[in-house]
Amino acid sequence: MGCCYSSETETTEQDRDERKPLIPHPNPDSKTINGTERNPANLPSTRTDEQALLTSILTKTALNIIDVSAADSQGMEQHEYMDKARQYSTKLAVLSNTLSQKKPAPLPSLTSQPHQVLASDLVSYSDMQQVSKIAAYAYSAISQIKLPAVHIRWSCNNRQETRLQNQLALYRISLKT
Amino acid sequence: MTTALTQGLERIPDQIGYLVISEDGVLASAGELENDERTAGVMMQMVQTACKFRLHGTADPPFKRLSVMFEDHAYLVTVSGQKVFVVKRQNNQREPISV
Repeated sequence: MGCCYSSETETTEQDRDERKPLIPHPNPDSKTINGTERNPANLPSTRTDEQALLTSILTKTALNIIDVSAADSQGMEQHEYMDKARQYSTKLAVLSNTLSQKKPAPLPSLTSQPHQVLASDLVSYSDMQQVSKIAAYAYSAISQIKLPAVHIRWSCNNRQETRLQNQLALYRISLKT
Repeated sequence: MTTALTQGLERIPDQIGYLVISEDGVLASAGELENDERTAGVMMQMVQTACKFRLHGTADPPFKRLSVMFEDHAYLVTVSGQKVFVVKRQNNQREPISV
């Protein structure tokens, strides 16, 4: 019973110790009043407990801290830094090359006098008509290419087929005009 | 700088609006094309596509101006000094276009 009691007080002592400031109170009188029930022989063991607690707190804190400067000085030598820097810059150069390829090509300059070019006459009506007519012929030619292609495919290779298609398209255009 | 760019555009006959576009965006705009970012985007794409056409043996695109014709108006586009100039002009040619 007594043993249980003492162990209980010890655990509460431990809890209290953890919340106590690390530097003890300059006047230890209050402690002696609290510890009247305890044996004077117990004192050194409490001290070792305290020591153990402090050490555990220290270890925990040390685990929670990442010392960047220490890690740096441990890990790398000067030449390693240089090597890494070189590797990174080569990789970046490769990346920037591929990036510039993805960008649209810069626009060529079509004229040195944009205002004049824009102010000149509009496309004439006859030109528009001609372009529309050619586009219409092209459209009808393309729409007629598809059907004979199915029959031709059986008897000739790709090059012959294309030539025949072109001839056929020209023939049909000339028929219309 | 913007005034120098746009002064000539203001004087174009039948002009009803214009845009000056760089790769970063619209530099100047006026008239019916004032702040018309959408038209600017479309025209930029059209001129970029047109600039890809090459005739055999030539390094430069074989045109000075791109005309987008409508019945009563037209968009005229050209490129100079990395800037795209777009002018919207009235089309007074009354004849109907039959397609």
